[in-house]
Amino acid sequence: MDNKTKRCELARIAEEKGISRRSLLKTGALLGASAAVFSKVDKAHALLEKIGSDRGAAYPLSRAENVIYSVCLQCHTACPIKVKILDGVAVKIDGNPYSAQNMIPNLAMKTPPHVAARVDAKLCPKGQAGIQSLYDPYRVVKVLKRNGPRGSNKWKTISFDKAIDEIVNGGRLFASIGEDRHVPGLKELHALRDPKVAKAMAKDAKAVAHGKMTVSAFKAKHKNNLHVLIDPNHPDLGPKNNQFIMQCGRIEHGRKELAKRWLKGSFGSVNFYEHTTICEQSHHIAYNESTRQYKKGKWGKGKHHMKPDASNSEFIIFFGTGFVEANFGPTPMAEKVTDGLATGRLKVAVVDPRMSKSAAKAWKWLPVKPGADAALALAMIQWIIANRKYDEKYLTAANKAAAKAVGETTWSNASHLVRIEADGPGKLLRASDIGIGGDEFVVMNNGKPAAVGKEAITGELDFSGTVGGIKVKTAFTILKEEAFSRSMAQWSEICGIGVSDIETVAAEFTSHGKKACAEMYRGPVQHTNGYYNGQAIIALNMLIGNIDHKGGMTTGGGHWHEDGSKLKKPFNMKKMHPGKLTAFGHKISREKSAYEKSTLFAGYPAKRPWFPFSGNVYQEIIPSAADQYPYGAKALWIHKGTPGFASPAGQTALKILADPGKIPLVFATDIVIGETSMYADYIFPDTAVWERWGTPHTTPDVPQRASKIRQPTVEPMTEVVKVFGEKQHCSWEAVLLAISERLGLPGCGKDGFGPGMDFTTREDFFLKLMANLAWGDKKGQALPDAGRDEMKIFHSARSHMSRITFDPKRWQKACGKENWAKVVTLLNRGGRWEDWSNKFAASNGTVVHKYKKGMNLYAEKVAMQRHSMTGERFSGIAVYEPVKDAMGREINDRGYDLKLITYKDILGGQSRTLPTDYWLSAILPENYILINSRTASELGFRDGDMAKLVSASNHSGEWELPNRENKPMVGRIKAVEGMRPGVVAVSWSFGHWGYGAADADIDGRKVAGDPRRRTGLCPNAAMRIDPALGNSCMTDPIGASSSFYDTSVKLVRA
Amino acid sequence: MATNEIVRMQEDLERALAKAAGSRSWVMVIDIRKCVGDHACAVSCMAENVCPPGTSYRKVFDAENNEYPNADHFFMPANCQHCDNPPCARAANKVARGAVEKHPDGIVVFDYKTMARHPKAAAAAKKACPYYAIVEDKGGYYTEATPRLEPYETRVFFENGEKLTRKNTRGAVRKCTFCVHRLDAGMLPACVTTCIGRAMYFGDANDPRSLVSEILRQEKTWQMKSSLGTKPRVFYIGYANRFEIAAATAAACVECHE
Repeated sequence: MDNKTKRCELARIAEEKGISRRSLLKTGALLGASAAVFSKVDKAHALLEKIGSDRGAAYPLSRAENVIYSVCLQCHTACPIKVKILDGVAVKIDGNPYSAQNMIPNLAMKTPPHVAARVDAKLCPKGQAGIQSLYDPYRVVKVLKRNGPRGSNKWKTISFDKAIDEIVNGGRLFASIGEDRHVPGLKELHALRDPKVAKAMAKDAKAVAHGKMTVSAFKAKHKNNLHVLIDPNHPDLGPKNNQFIMQCGRIEHGRKELAKRWLKGSFGSVNFYEHTTICEQSHHIAYNESTRQYKKGKWGKGKHHMKPDASNSEFIIFFGTGFVEANFGPTPMAEKVTDGLATGRLKVAVVDPRMSKSAAKAWKWLPVKPGADAALALAMIQWIIANRKYDEKYLTAANKAAAKAVGETTWSNASHLVRIEADGPGKLLRASDIGIGGDEFVVMNNGKPAAVGKEAITGELDFSGTVGGIKVKTAFTILKEEAFSRSMAQWSEICGIGVSDIETVAAEFTSHGKKACAEMYRGPVQHTNGYYNGQAIIALNMLIGNIDHKGGMTTGGGHWHEDGSKLKKPFNMKKMHPGKLTAFGHKISREKSAYEKSTLFAGYPAKRPWFPFSGNVYQEIIPSAADQYPYGAKALWIHKGTPGFASPAGQTALKILADPGKIPLVFATDIVIGETSMYADYIFPDTAVWERWGTPHTTPDVPQRASKIRQPTVEPMTEVVKVFGEKQHCSWEAVLLAISERLGLPGCGKDGFGPGMDFTTREDFFLKLMANLAWGDKKGQALPDAGRDEMKIFHSARSHMSRITFDPKRWQKACGKENWAKVVTLLNRGGRWEDWSNKFAASNGTVVHKYKKGMNLYAEKVAMQRHSMTGERFSGIAVYEPVKDAMGREINDRGYDLKLITYKDILGGQSRTLPTDYWLSAILPENYILINSRTASELGFRDGDMAKLVSASNHSGEWELPNRENKPMVGRIKAVEGMRPGVVAVSWSFGHWGYGAADADIDGRKVAGDPRRRTGLCPNAAMRIDPALGNSCMTDPIGASSSFYDTSVKLVRA
Repeated sequence: MATNEIVRMQEDLERALAKAAGSRSWVMVIDIRKCVGDHACAVSCMAENVCPPGTSYRKVFDAENNEYPNADHFFMPANCQHCDNPPCARAANKVARGAVEKHPDGIVVFDYKTMARHPKAAAAAKKACPYYAIVEDKGGYYTEATPRLEPYETRVFFENGEKLTRKNTRGAVRKCTFCVHRLDAGMLPACVTTCIGRAMYFGDANDPRSLVSEILRQEKTWQMKSSLGTKPRVFYIGYANRFEIAAATAAACVECHE
């Protein structure tokens, strides 16, 4: 592209086609023709009049009988959807108008379904293309067993029962293809079965890990049961049951609770995982550490997520995210921002090396250097402090009462004193440390230290000195010193944003009172320094004290709880698990465990890192199994995820999976043969999201309380199987129940939920959740009973389903007959939402649903923890750190001069949606290597050239795919103005070899792959393998996010 | 935001539908400031109207402007403009009378049967359209070369209030109908309801109370290639650059589209 104005494509096409304006004008001058048109008018007029009303009646998609509400899952925003069904086929998906995520204001709950049926709400293109993910010609509908080496994509169909028998009992399962090894079945791993023994061992194993009991004392006490342990010399590794791992990708609430109930409580393994660290976990962990509450000498749980109240904001700076692509998410967020942009209420700044579609609307686009978000935020903080633009009243309020006195609902520990140790800031000072009280924190008040009790107290903000002989500083001072540790010019050099831009944005951020937000998601945190970047951004919000304010940051409207734990009825699910096992031991990812609190502690470094602050460390599971640290894995259940594709350097996982000696049994539940499930021994077909149940939760972007429900909208396509004597479609739940049936697991089958309450089909579980939602969290929140009309609609809308999928009697039994009419009201609306009211509309004051708690500018727990590899303490305050490997060494890949980032186009999700949904790939058939036009020409590339991505840990520029052909990372160069020079961006979703992209051999017949599904490239194989670990990507040692944006690459002509 | 704009426009629609077709005047307004380039409208159209593979009656064009770091990126949705002086009608009806009808409420309607029978009329219509809003239905399905022809492709759809399948439209040229089948059911066009930026408005310009009338009164709007004398029924609200989005101006659009 030349650097002149690139003209709009529509105008360009006109020029290319040689249609000049003159020729068009000439055509337009043919008056004779237009006279002919108008002579038609009268006739048409009459026609339209005559058939007007009939036409409406002739549009079945406007009728409630053709609608079932459910929830999308093309991305995790999980928008409530309206699925329109014609002749048993889901033909059109729109947004659910009852949903506050899709409609502002949403339709009131009392709106009858036949009225709502005619109101379509907004929905992003991925959600609409759900039709094509559901009716995907490459859906797996029968159980497949590997008929060649792992990854060869050779399969045979086998019966569900035989497959379940094999994975439960094990044996020489692959003898027929020449693999003579014994595969251990789940039966062997189900070693610890006695709930009493489990409970006692769990308690003592914890005591051993914490050094409160010796190993020999443990051994003596549990001598009769030591055989169930992985290693009796390390009882804190837990029982052999832990060697069965369930690794889930996109699992959601409902299924998640069931998975934990089952794997932990029924099977007795601690190793349940979601995919969060390949998403944006460090963002959650940064929020969590910023919001932990200190009670009775302990730091409790925090909140994981805040979002701007964008409907009322006046300024939002988006760090590495936006309101149009990814995030949480476009459908609910876009309108709030575009409304503000058009009316002039709102300005946005977008921090992103790529000019995203959000940045396209930004007053300031700040093309930051990847991973330098903390440098930018700290520079802004320096300016804010230097110019005293922070909210002093907010920051000096040291507790709840003080906050209340200044009209705030939240407060911070900015004024709390921190002990300064030889190796940096340490614990928060306690009143007992200086003899002025007990466990209270301490502030400087009128020049004297004072305990922070319940009474309102303010603290000096900027203090550094000695109190009672102890060197202290306030949290604010520590942040200030970090922010002033470099000059603005130095920060500018690090982050790549000019000083004047930094100052302008900092000034803007502090010019709107509380109606400004620093928002973030994945961009700043999928780095080795991700947690600190997140903390720096959260600190910006604390400096202006915007939490709970209209237009500020909010924790959202929340939800009614599906587990029944609030109202304790009709089903208090947590108490409904007879014979429940206590799962115990360190997880294979070593998450939620501190290295120092384990019997494996042997000085620094540990063999692999430990992650005491984080969870769901997805990228660590398979490599840890390979390294047998802390123990090996015997069986892996991969569910709705693709760790070998979606994780950075995913090829390292594939290499491990391809070797049956590493993890002897691998099975998957999937809707297609995916990139990773291709390496499984068995694939069980799962129901697609439009065919099943769930209770996904709502983004904090939504100000109203909301509980959305996923329910089957069509007959599932998977084969019908029999479990516990009941016919059901093969699904993740059916596999779980069938394993339970074979092993006699507690909490499943007859009386699985308690006397008279069986658990033999998925409905037995999910309809109980539905009943809980219908009743709400408190007395008086119950939904009204569905009347006759609604009952009729409910049944008609499901007339296309077989008795297996919709059995009203069975459903009534599952949810309790007395709850049935309420459940129907819930299902007829796809969930329940708080009605819109004036209090949500008001643009001033505080938000309706508040956080109302303290914020930690200084995270004490983090400050006191040592890095498991370096042995150095982490920082309790936001700091800037360069890219580091697991050993804390800086990465410097000389000769690779381009930084690689990824992003999601609005049309694409992580590993699904594009290019497999053909409506979407009709618009975007392939992805690109996006590069600044000048960088491209400096490197000798032109727009449209093909290039290969090569990195220091992937010299070949290929996905090395064991037992199949390699896949080169080759893509088309797209030279644009909207990229930071020196950075290349590759969108997700493309570069498949699974998901229908490759030919498969099933029962000796070739199923040809679709070339449209093979397009583009997936850049993950170029991502930096951690040099200290060798078999996985780099990881943030605190938040445990996998490093997506820290790799240097070069482009090789292809 | 006391009333949702969709609900308000549906109420506008009810009033319009109560009137004689000749006394209502359907128009669409697209606020480029609020268009986020997400293509929800295009996909909605594909699904609603079972558009031929690879096509949609709604396209969202995009273009960069200016240089790094002051670059701009614009998104421009376009569909049939339902011209009051439609070049397609003149061209097609010259070949086959009745191929294109102009309805009294403003909608330009293709008669697919006539179009399919008279390929030259179809081709003439397509060629005549200065907005590239017309797509060819060459037959074929997205999933025909895959393990299964999927039912969403062979299903019945309701364009122009007729019950159709793709078999009925093969050979025809097709385009946006303002979702007249939905209008008749009291529903807004599919692209309008699904827009996540809420950039699209639809209604009766003859009704001064309607939201579209209000917007046309209050905002500076612009019609694409209006100098051609086509008299489009799609109105745009534009902006000059991202630094001053709120200031609606047609100038930036005119630069390329006139």
